[in-house]
Amino acid sequence: MSTKPKDGTDIAAGLLFMAIAGFFAWQGLGLDMGTSTRMGPGYFPMVLSGLLFILGAVILFKAFGRPDDEPMGRIAWRGILFILPAPIFFGLTVRGLGFVPALFVTTLIASQASLRMRPLAALVLSVVVTIMSTLIFSYGLGLPFRRFGPWLPL
Amino acid sequence: MTAITRRILLGSALALGLAGTAAAQFPERQITLVVPFAAGGSTDVVGRIVAERMSQELGQQIVVQNVGGAGGSLGAQQVAQADADGYTILMATVATHALNPLILTQKPYDPVADFAPISLLVLVPNVLAVNPELPVNTVQELIDLAKEQPLAYASSGNGTPLHLSGELFKSMAGVEIDHIPYKGSGPALTDVLGNQVPIIFDNLPSASGHISSGKLRALGVTTAERAPSFPDIPTIAETLPGYETYTWNALFAPAGTPPEAIEALAVAARTAMADPAVAERMAEFSATIVASGPEELAAHVQAEMAKWEPVVRDANVTMD
Amino acid sequence: MELLSNLALGFGVASSLTNLGFCLIGVLLGTLIGVLPGIGATATIAMLLPITFQLEPVSSLIMLAGIYYGAQYGGSTTAILINMPGESSSAVTAIDGYQMARQGRAGTALATAALGSFFAGSVATFLVALFAPPLTAVALKFGAAEYFSLMVMGLVMSVALAHGSVLKALAMVVLGLLLGMVGTDVYTGAPRFTMGITQFADGLNFVAVAVGVFGIAEILRNLENEHDRQVMTKNISRLFPNRDEFRQMVAPILRGTGIGSVLGILPGGGAILASFASYTVEKKLSKHPEEFGKGALAGVAGPESANNAGAQTSFIPLLTLGIPANPVMALMIGAMIIQGIVPGPNVVSEQPELFWGIIASMWIGNLMLVVLNLPLIGLWVKLLTVPYYVLFPIIMAMCSIGVYSVNSNTYDLFAVAGFGLLGYVLSKLRCEPAPLLLGFVLGPLLEENLRRAMILSRGDPTTFVTRPISATLLVLSLAILVLVFLPQIRKRRDEVFTESDA
Repeated sequence: MSTKPKDGTDIAAGLLFMAIAGFFAWQGLGLDMGTSTRMGPGYFPMVLSGLLFILGAVILFKAFGRPDDEPMGRIAWRGILFILPAPIFFGLTVRGLGFVPALFVTTLIASQASLRMRPLAALVLSVVVTIMSTLIFSYGLGLPFRRFGPWLPL
Repeated sequence: MTAITRRILLGSALALGLAGTAAAQFPERQITLVVPFAAGGSTDVVGRIVAERMSQELGQQIVVQNVGGAGGSLGAQQVAQADADGYTILMATVATHALNPLILTQKPYDPVADFAPISLLVLVPNVLAVNPELPVNTVQELIDLAKEQPLAYASSGNGTPLHLSGELFKSMAGVEIDHIPYKGSGPALTDVLGNQVPIIFDNLPSASGHISSGKLRALGVTTAERAPSFPDIPTIAETLPGYETYTWNALFAPAGTPPEAIEALAVAARTAMADPAVAERMAEFSATIVASGPEELAAHVQAEMAKWEPVVRDANVTMD
Repeated sequence: MELLSNLALGFGVASSLTNLGFCLIGVLLGTLIGVLPGIGATATIAMLLPITFQLEPVSSLIMLAGIYYGAQYGGSTTAILINMPGESSSAVTAIDGYQMARQGRAGTALATAALGSFFAGSVATFLVALFAPPLTAVALKFGAAEYFSLMVMGLVMSVALAHGSVLKALAMVVLGLLLGMVGTDVYTGAPRFTMGITQFADGLNFVAVAVGVFGIAEILRNLENEHDRQVMTKNISRLFPNRDEFRQMVAPILRGTGIGSVLGILPGGGAILASFASYTVEKKLSKHPEEFGKGALAGVAGPESANNAGAQTSFIPLLTLGIPANPVMALMIGAMIIQGIVPGPNVVSEQPELFWGIIASMWIGNLMLVVLNLPLIGLWVKLLTVPYYVLFPIIMAMCSIGVYSVNSNTYDLFAVAGFGLLGYVLSKLRCEPAPLLLGFVLGPLLEENLRRAMILSRGDPTTFVTRPISATLLVLSLAILVLVFLPQIRKRRDEVFTESDA
């Protein structure tokens, strides 16, 4: 038990904002600032980065001397591991594999994020979602997706 | 898992009635026409009208896919990298095949080496127009006024054909006019109609409604000849001899596409453009039909790049 | 009474059996596609646009307009049910609507949205019919300086969106503004913060950011404690609002309609402020501002009405000037051109049956929407009883399709994942996503108009206070700022007093 109370969440938030501000400022260094009449592309972002850095610093400063009333709680590692790769996979494969297989695997990946989802149920769900989506988007709306892509030996 | 996955894949493939047919004459399946701009823009409109008529001609559906972004470069790049089988073609413009390659410091594609030309479809005039409150009625009066007081002109964006039409005008007339870029033609027109900015370079089709209603005063069209839809508007070249710019639309396939496919597409394009119904739509759109063959298009691209190169250099327009 | 004969002409056109049919199809398709997560009005219209090309001009535009407000309606439904807004306007609805859904009041929230939208739509349609030409003249008075001041006002209001720390809300707004800078600079063509990725040259995709920070962050939060946390209450009390709730929603709906109608007229992005502005006003006027963010009925009723009113009045610049106020309107212009209609001020005089037919069909479409959707509420609410672990893979699949379908851009999908992670981290740090999204939407407009105003005034910053409309807006912003911060200061003083008492 530390003697001085501090709000851990706000400390993290303040640091995160300051880091993001630093990143944008660093990335914006190469951009022309221009004059106030003809502002360059770097002018506005630099002002904003400065502002964000100050706000982050104030949040950080105010976090000390105050207890954390609502700690962070558990983190959804399994969710992060399976939910986030799902759209990435779809993006990487929709052109190569085609709409149908890409969507099927995407749904299958996403469904693994829950502990409650059993393998067979996941398969059934993915098949149903794939068939329905193909009917709606590809056949119904005629979206220009290739249903099966060139990567498949069909 | 993989075995099951594969079986499911095959199962759903059968369920969806995937047709695997033997090779036949081009085209044997759906063709994708990539329009490198957002749906609803003028290139999209031309593309959809042509695609619809060409589909009838080829007996296969041509589907329009909008791949907008980076002034048309993203869509063009996608077609440049697509399979060279004739099933992915591009609705190119002066931006994708003349201006962007000159402006961009990083070249995402080569407009000549990466593409097989099919057909130059239409030429679309641009127009120089002013808010009626600006006390000028002719191009010469505008040039005179610009020498006396600071003026500004609006365009649909930095590096667009309209911006460069303005820059070419400035250099040929020897005047200085501030360029105010907008995100597209719509917002630029709004500000000129409201007299926030007095002058605009715009596509004739998008400005035509305002010109005929008198909300905008057209000073000159940018083509060498007067536009058939507006025979009363003089050309800028009547004041500044040699001034000529226009927007154009053309079809390209990826380099290496079989000649039979190119031929089939070029014939279909020519037939489509010869259809009176299509011609009428294009006329409403103030577009002049060219419907050239592949060789003419190749020569056209060379000519356009040669024409714009000095303008781009003088105006010092670059993008990464 | 020219108006009456015009309206009669319009209703004559719109109520022909064919046009009624296309209006219905449009509204229905719009709602059904718009309700899919990650698919907003713009994506829906882009998907359905080709279908309308085969039709007669009037029917085609009536159907498109139907798709537009149908999709907007569907988008609000998704925002309320699963916290996944597909448009900036429904991001506001998501704040309190989703909380209501979690408390088992999804039916009430949806009914409120439907009724508010219908009322606002009817009033705004009438405004369009009555005042379209004079209102256009007002809209044209807005130049760069005026839009800049308007956006400043929007930013000041954004602080009210947060129900937690004001400081963090401000930081989120600024972060949103910075994210809005990503892409090619309009003035010089210089790429900014794109990491050399050409696909981000036009900026980050709004849907990708919204789906990420709202929807995916929420899915991840729900997956944290799967065993001991219910996402939704299973006991859904009533489907429809009771008399007390009806009384509560009247004033917000009226105010929302007014705010939305006015802002919708401005073609330079006024409509996107409508729902944010209404939310701020409601929170300020409410006797229980602490309820906002925790399922306040007024937080749904006001913004939904404002949003729909704005959607209707944003047809004014389109119909009278041929100028698109937003991407959806740009699509409609394209549809007009394909149909051989030259958009512009002549449409009213040259094609009166088209102009008035569309206006009449807007009202009919709104009526259809409310008739269609009130019974559907039961179905939507039942959807919430589907176990969450079945629901979210479907949501992920729909998001992927929806985001990809707009521009066929793979990087938009990477952005969804990236912003999902950022949104989750920020939510763990008790930072709310709505102010970020507002900043993201306003950022480019703010910068563009600031820079344009400075060029046009040749570097004279007094342009913002010497132009009357701009000055008025800035004074209003100042007043709002005082109103927002005064209670805070007073509260702090109270705290000081109570401490000294103890």
